Amino acid sequence: MNLWQAFKMAFKSISMKKTRSFLTMLGIIIGVASVVIMVSVVQGQNKKNLEYFEKMGDNKITVNAYSYYDTNNETSQKLYDYCLSMSDLVTGITPDVELGQTVKIQFGSKTLSVNDWSAMGSMGRIDWDSMMHIKLGSDQYGVCNNYTLSAGREISYLDVEKTNSVCVLGAGAKDALFGYTDPVGETITMNGQPFLVVGWYQPMNLEWRKDLDNIIVIPYTFNRSMNRNNTISSYVVKAKSASATVEAMTKLDAYLAGLFPKDANGVSQNGDYYVQSDNSYAENIKTQSNMQSLVLGAIAGISLLVGGIGIMNIMLVTVTERTREIGIRKAIGAERKSIIAQFLIEAAVICSIGGVIGIGIGCVGTLIAGKLLLQETMMLPNTFITVGAFLFSVVLGVIFGMYPAIKASGLQPVVALRAD
Amino acid sequence: MLIDIRNLYKIYNEGKESEVRALDGVTLQIDQGEFVAIVGQSGSGKSTLMNVLGCLDIPTYGEYHLNGTDVTSLSDKELAHIRNKEIGFIFQGYNLIQELDALENVTLPLIYQGASVWDREDTAMAALAKVGMDDRAHHRPSEMSGGQQQRVAIARAIATHPPIIMADEPTGALDSKTGRHVLEILRGLYRGGTTILLITHDDGIAATARRVVRLSDGKVVADYAQEVDWE
Repeated sequence: MNLWQAFKMAFKSISMKKTRSFLTMLGIIIGVASVVIMVSVVQGQNKKNLEYFEKMGDNKITVNAYSYYDTNNETSQKLYDYCLSMSDLVTGITPDVELGQTVKIQFGSKTLSVNDWSAMGSMGRIDWDSMMHIKLGSDQYGVCNNYTLSAGREISYLDVEKTNSVCVLGAGAKDALFGYTDPVGETITMNGQPFLVVGWYQPMNLEWRKDLDNIIVIPYTFNRSMNRNNTISSYVVKAKSASATVEAMTKLDAYLAGLFPKDANGVSQNGDYYVQSDNSYAENIKTQSNMQSLVLGAIAGISLLVGGIGIMNIMLVTVTERTREIGIRKAIGAERKSIIAQFLIEAAVICSIGGVIGIGIGCVGTLIAGKLLLQETMMLPNTFITVGAFLFSVVLGVIFGMYPAIKASGLQPVVALRAD
Repeated sequence: MLIDIRNLYKIYNEGKESEVRALDGVTLQIDQGEFVAIVGQSGSGKSTLMNVLGCLDIPTYGEYHLNGTDVTSLSDKELAHIRNKEIGFIFQGYNLIQELDALENVTLPLIYQGASVWDREDTAMAALAKVGMDDRAHHRPSEMSGGQQQRVAIARAIATHPPIIMADEPTGALDSKTGRHVLEILRGLYRGGTTILLITHDDGIAATARRVVRLSDGKVVADYAQEVDWE
């Protein structure tokens, strides 16, 4: 008997024993489909959460490093250089300090007061939305804080180094001072000192954060002359991706731990620091999602097991009937290998058909669940899970499908014929 | 000598208290072309003898030569070949596969024999025609009477043209009229040169055989030839 004959016999047997074949398939279908759908939905949910947090977190790392002995922005320079050294992870770094002194900004006949609290009146009447903010930043201020240049250029590295009197305006500051005219190339004065406007940012247009547009960025080296040489302690580091954020945070933490070594009491004599990121939320979500995946994996495993037990039951219940059949086949001259081949193919075909139907239902179910639960237009299951569930069911089905064949084909025909 | 058994034993639970000697030293020779009835009471060991002779079971001790081959030394695969090509079985309970129709049941031994697709359907139809069941080729066992099922079983037994037919109570489940019909088919095969071994507890049926071997408690107690008028 050749393989083709074994195939034909197996198909004949499947089509003749429809109920048994269907019940066996059902176990596999339910097992595969439920695993595929459940795992996919959880993974989809996690992916959505992560996407959301990546958008929100924007891979921004907030670094606070306060050195007790900084005299000339040394820490800023060190952090700047350190971030340059991990340019594979980090896009930019900038001090992010707001000037606390009272400043009078003038351009032509227009005057803006910054931090002139007495002129702005009592707290209740302060117009927060039109208040200006002078920011001390590096050449990467725009990049780190997600600003896009509308015209002109950013502050340059040389501007920082030479403490050149240049500034970049936020859209709000540009509107307040220049209206609709181009500010680039004009000179404004701050407390009488002239600053050349080299560029301006497009508006952020965030209704609840007008202050983001009301900024004037100047090189952080003006900290000395304009900010009483206060220690610069806030920095923003922009990482390249969510995973780079995590890695850069770890590295920054280690670097700062080196800058501010702690003594035996856990107190550093040089300064203090902490590193934080919105992406920490994303990390939390990731941890949480891994846990969810584990829990769901467990549930999926249980449903596979239940499906598997279903398959096993059907197969074992029919052993007697099948044993008689094997006895008859042996009596009329079937070799052991022919019988095993037929049963193997039969089990493999049933399980594969069941598995494919299960995958089909799983895909459709995932699509529907994605649409209803996660508002995803095209959510498809994870290949690894799908293939895994399929293989598990098929292997299980084949093992239990083969069981009667292996057991009965080794018997003397007369013993197999007597089975009941 | 077609079948040659010497001192054949089939012992269940050997050495235990419940030891049963189904065959207790049977010696028997059967020539090609004989029509032998093996008779005995229920429990006399006649079915066990047929199972051993038909290679459906293995003896505990003893020699069995079939056509000069020492059967006791054969592998499972070689035994399968003997069951397929040398011996055709007819069982009391027909033992047809319920899911297959008559033609498919008869084709089965031909498939295991490795006959080509073209030949085997013709051969199977011819075998069905021989027992008068060719008009029922596509009926399943459940759609046939007992006599019809037994005729299909006979067709399956003769499909590979084996030199020996072994029938274990072939008429046991049939009424006397259909029983006679089945016996008539066996006689026809005998006339065609096939060796027939007929196992029965019914002396009336044994009376129609050319030779009778009587078993009792696993031993041959009588072995005689008789003249039969078959008209």
